[in-house]
Amino acid sequence: MTDGPLIVQSDKTLLLEVDHDSAAECRKAIAPFAELERAPEHVHTYRISPLALWNARAAGHDAEQVIDALISFSRYPVPHALLVDIADTMGRYGRLRLEKHPTYGLVLASSDRAVLEEVLRARKLQSMFGVRVDDDTVAVHPSERGTLKQALLKIGWPAEDLAGYVDGEAHVIDLVEDGWELRGYQRDAAESFWHGGSGVVVLPCGAGKTIVGAAAMAQASATTLILVTNTVSAHQWKQELLKRTSLTEEEIGEYTGTKKQIRPVTIATYQVMTTRRKGVYSHLELFDARDWGLVLYDEVHLLPAPIFRMTADLQTRRRLGLTATLVREDGREGDVFSLIGPKRYDAPWKDMEAQGWIAPADCVEVRVTLTDSERLAYATAEQEDRYRFCATTPTKSSVVQALVERHRGEQTLVIGQYIDQLDELGERLEAPVIKGETKIKERERLFDAFRSGEISVLIVSKVANFSIDLPEAAVAVQVSGTFGSRQEEAQRLGRVLRPKASGKGARFYSVVARDTLDQDYAAHRQRFLAEQGYAYRIIDADAILADEEI
Amino acid sequence: MGVSTDTYAEWLRARDDTELRALFACRPELITPVPADITALSSRASAPSALSRALDRLDRFALNVFEALLVLPSPTSRGDLATAVDADVSEALDRLRSLALVWGDDRELRVAPGARQAIPHPASLGPPVREAFASYPSDRMSALLADLGLDSVDDIPGRIDFLIEDAGPEARAALDRLAWGPPIGKVEGARRPVTLATANSPIERLLARALLAATDDRTVTLPREVGLRLRGGRVFRDLETAPPPLGGTVRDQALIDRTAGGQAFTTVRVLEDLLERWGVDPPGVLRSGGLGIRDLRAAAVRLDLPEWTAALLVEVAYAAGLLARSGDFDGSGTGGRGGDALWLPTQAYDLWRLHDSERRWVAVAEAWLRSDRVPGLAGERDDRDRLINALSDDAIRASAPQVRRAVLAALAEAPPGTAPAADGVYAHLTWRQPRRGGVLRERLVEWTLREAEVLGVTGFRGLAAHSRALVAGEDAAKVLLKVLPEPVDHVLIQADLTAVAPGPLVADLGRELALAADVESTGGATVYRFTPQSVRRALDAGRGASELIDLLSRHSATALPQPLVYLIEDVARRHGRLRVGIASAYVRSDDPAVLEEIMADRRSDQLRLHRLAPTVLASRVPRAELLDGLRVLGYAPVAESAEGSVVITRLDARRAESAGHGTYAQAHHAAIGSGPDVSVITAAVRALRAGDEAARVSVPNGSPPRSPAAAMVQRLREATDRGSRVWIGYLDQQGQASSRIIEPARIEGGFLTAYDATRAAVHRFALHRITGVADVDGSA
Repeated sequence: MTDGPLIVQSDKTLLLEVDHDSAAECRKAIAPFAELERAPEHVHTYRISPLALWNARAAGHDAEQVIDALISFSRYPVPHALLVDIADTMGRYGRLRLEKHPTYGLVLASSDRAVLEEVLRARKLQSMFGVRVDDDTVAVHPSERGTLKQALLKIGWPAEDLAGYVDGEAHVIDLVEDGWELRGYQRDAAESFWHGGSGVVVLPCGAGKTIVGAAAMAQASATTLILVTNTVSAHQWKQELLKRTSLTEEEIGEYTGTKKQIRPVTIATYQVMTTRRKGVYSHLELFDARDWGLVLYDEVHLLPAPIFRMTADLQTRRRLGLTATLVREDGREGDVFSLIGPKRYDAPWKDMEAQGWIAPADCVEVRVTLTDSERLAYATAEQEDRYRFCATTPTKSSVVQALVERHRGEQTLVIGQYIDQLDELGERLEAPVIKGETKIKERERLFDAFRSGEISVLIVSKVANFSIDLPEAAVAVQVSGTFGSRQEEAQRLGRVLRPKASGKGARFYSVVARDTLDQDYAAHRQRFLAEQGYAYRIIDADAILADEEI
Repeated sequence: MGVSTDTYAEWLRARDDTELRALFACRPELITPVPADITALSSRASAPSALSRALDRLDRFALNVFEALLVLPSPTSRGDLATAVDADVSEALDRLRSLALVWGDDRELRVAPGARQAIPHPASLGPPVREAFASYPSDRMSALLADLGLDSVDDIPGRIDFLIEDAGPEARAALDRLAWGPPIGKVEGARRPVTLATANSPIERLLARALLAATDDRTVTLPREVGLRLRGGRVFRDLETAPPPLGGTVRDQALIDRTAGGQAFTTVRVLEDLLERWGVDPPGVLRSGGLGIRDLRAAAVRLDLPEWTAALLVEVAYAAGLLARSGDFDGSGTGGRGGDALWLPTQAYDLWRLHDSERRWVAVAEAWLRSDRVPGLAGERDDRDRLINALSDDAIRASAPQVRRAVLAALAEAPPGTAPAADGVYAHLTWRQPRRGGVLRERLVEWTLREAEVLGVTGFRGLAAHSRALVAGEDAAKVLLKVLPEPVDHVLIQADLTAVAPGPLVADLGRELALAADVESTGGATVYRFTPQSVRRALDAGRGASELIDLLSRHSATALPQPLVYLIEDVARRHGRLRVGIASAYVRSDDPAVLEEIMADRRSDQLRLHRLAPTVLASRVPRAELLDGLRVLGYAPVAESAEGSVVITRLDARRAESAGHGTYAQAHHAAIGSGPDVSVITAAVRALRAGDEAARVSVPNGSPPRSPAAAMVQRLREATDRGSRVWIGYLDQQGQASSRIIEPARIEGGFLTAYDATRAAVHRFALHRITGVADVDGSA
């Protein structure tokens, strides 16, 4: 019996005991071929998926190395079947290659004729192939490059894409590192993306994903299309790029509901891209408007389904996806990987915290108890109204007020789902409310005021869920949310994770009604963060109201 | 051995008891039933089927030596034999003698009678000239001889060299093709009359020169003497005196042991997992008696295993008696289902579960080794293109246990750490038993190797130390224990409500955790997840919140995360607002007085009744039992349909009623060695000797020794009480005398009912036909 830090499970998950002496070494050895799935306090879970193994192959690792890493770090014998499976799976990679052909353009070539025959006979794939060039080669319609790769992955014969990328229209972009510099992990992330060609970078909120984007743009030095979630976010990207790169106001265009500028660097919103007029996507031409050298997807976990389809046609362009939480409630993570590219960089939140790049956060779940009459009303409420009822219980308001009081002087955000509730809180706390109907101008004014400390409490609805940049929010109070959305919870926590000038930690409160749906949803929402090592403390609302030490 | 004997029977008689015992151990069919005397034994041993079975047991070298003896003139001396095969024959001769295939001393070696017919073409040589031409009509023969200028067939061998030379090079080439066998060839019109003058084609020239004999219209045979001459006097071209080396890669034996140990542990765990599930949700039995392919696939998916592995586990569970058919199996069901019959874990399974992992594995591995069921056949199609289902009788192949044992024996012979490839093992086995080849064996070898890997018999295809012990009949469990992961008694509990057991848990803790949390992943470690449902389950099972928290904090290596404590307390707070009891059946009556009366009756205690309401009693016994119980008490209850007010909450896991195929308990005692028990052999030898004595000493009726009737019955009764074996002389209805080794069970009505060990069946013997009784075990 060796005393390794790793335990290999029969379902192909790897358990890494983090307190073990050689845990760091082991983590390094398994990272290339296993995906980090959960990272709570003691035991991290990695998963060996075919995709991860193929990515490892693509990055130059062979089965021997993988097996060796497993055997040498494993505490218990590694099931032989699993080793065989790994060798088999990795052996599948590269039998099919997408290549450039002088006369046929894009072709699928194979070193294993049987595999090619199998693939050619797959019904779902037939429409994607052109003429048979020779026994081992078949032409592929260039527009099908993405869908073909995706389909081949699904049937277990991943194609090695050797057809390369178009460089796009060159456009000089430099990073201007004045008074700041690229952090090590940001450089690593940008480089591993560039090395891989296309892919997704996963970094916690507040870790500077925009800068990774800027670094990637500098690497590409080509015209860039940036797709973001909303207009505010588009503005922030612009501000950030002006600050971090050599780009000037004139070089950056905005393509939003109001402005339709197409410039060397163009920032467009998902919303505009998916707007349909008479059933047609009217802004699709943007993709062809310029010879883009790089397409950047911000918050890729929110990428709407139509964009997946459009993106499939962009396979010759380099694509970079950025996200904090690759958890999609619609389960389409796989599509993100196959259409944008595999995960190129990932860092556990707690590691970033340990290195001081994000602020340590104290997550507290505050449980309020419904009054007896509320309980009765809740019990008899219609199914579809129940969550709203318990999430907006008036009992919460006094607790929120007590929390805000408690942190007087600190920049505090109150985040919620239901406008009525937020308006009521706004009156009670005498704080401004930002919601869907708030004008962009007004939003930005309030953000600036908050940033400068002019106002210290801001109430926001879910319009502010993403990409708002509130540097000094130290406390967030969540009163209600989009049901059990794990990534919303992570995004909201992200609002307070930027390192504070004071070096103090952040507080994240989630106010939850006990014994109701609210509590069940909260448990689900917290799962992602708990798996990232954020342990929620649960305290009773009475303790807050009584102003006890918590 | 020095005694010179004239006949096979006499030679057999001259064998000492040890030698006879060895013979019967190798050829058990000779004593089933025990022959009356040595003469009967000798004729049985030379019967074609018996000879064929004995020859099947020879390895290639011994078989070659035997064939050489058939080719050489009889009797042959050992020296001549050694010269002919150009090898040391002593070991092979010992083996042949111990199997009674060869008899006589070293100066005069002879083959057992009938052996010549058993091997038509020894060493791929045709019959001697005399036999080869025996079928020629005499006029044709004399014409042939006259043409060659010879007087007799016996003159041909002396002229072979000349005749070959004379036939020319083309004819020589044709001969060479037959030289190393097979010694027969196909030609059109083989019997056409040819003479030296009319012969045209090479074949005709050979036929005209008596170098080939026409066997029928289309077949020609190369006579033995011609063949031997063509071979330059050698009987064999390349004699393999030892098995071909296994080859294969060499690994660290410790790694092999560890890997196999891990796999052994997994096998036991997965089996338990499967059988636990089937205890609650059992699959049906097909009309053909097997397990439906859909059920097999479902099991494979649930266990996350390939289908063949699932089939293997299911078959092994069945072979070990852990799984059995239960319920009405009458073949009347619809949709291929055999009535209401289900596949259920047996009571032996409950027993098995109580043992430690290593003992459990040994039970399973032994069952696999011994089983004549072939899991690899599941999912294949038989000769009539019907699907072979797992657990059906179609998956039985009698040779399976023998091949498995042979494969493991071959692996055991290789130096430690060797991981031979399937080809090497197959070549080795072919050498060991060249007459038992065939497609099935090849597949069985392949299946055995892959199954051994899954079951943890081998690791990285090398035989593990514990399996070596298993094959050798030693205490495999003790060896296995050393490589099994040590049980741990702590878990790591995390804030995401998971608990990780970094190794196999000690049984108690494992059970408690499985109750309070859902298993999320298994393997070297087990990952549990606490959910409101799982905590509720524990509370339902009678655990209290504080008890649970206490248990977890005692076994947690780190502080208990607060969210978990809250989870348990939250669930506990809500738990029990509704109260649900466990009851299997209920009694309802509109008249509360009747129920009062039942409750007051002390005999109703065993019905485990509990009054829920004035007009309702709940019972913990099954409905059928409750109905019967009430009837016994003098009431006239009627069963109520399941609709409406059923109180059954949870069906307990069910068990098969039958004990199972090869019960675990039995499996535990019987030795794995194939072939009959030592005591049976010893008894057989004694019986045979006695019978022989009786036959040779001229007793008036030549029957086995007689005892006075009263004394005889007394001895049988004693044997019945002791449960010991005796051998008896018995005259059957035709007056044939025979000796039997029996285990008397009871004596009544002038009959003795006993297990007849020599026929492996229970028989009734008429007491008046039993001629004598003698002890068996006493002298064994």
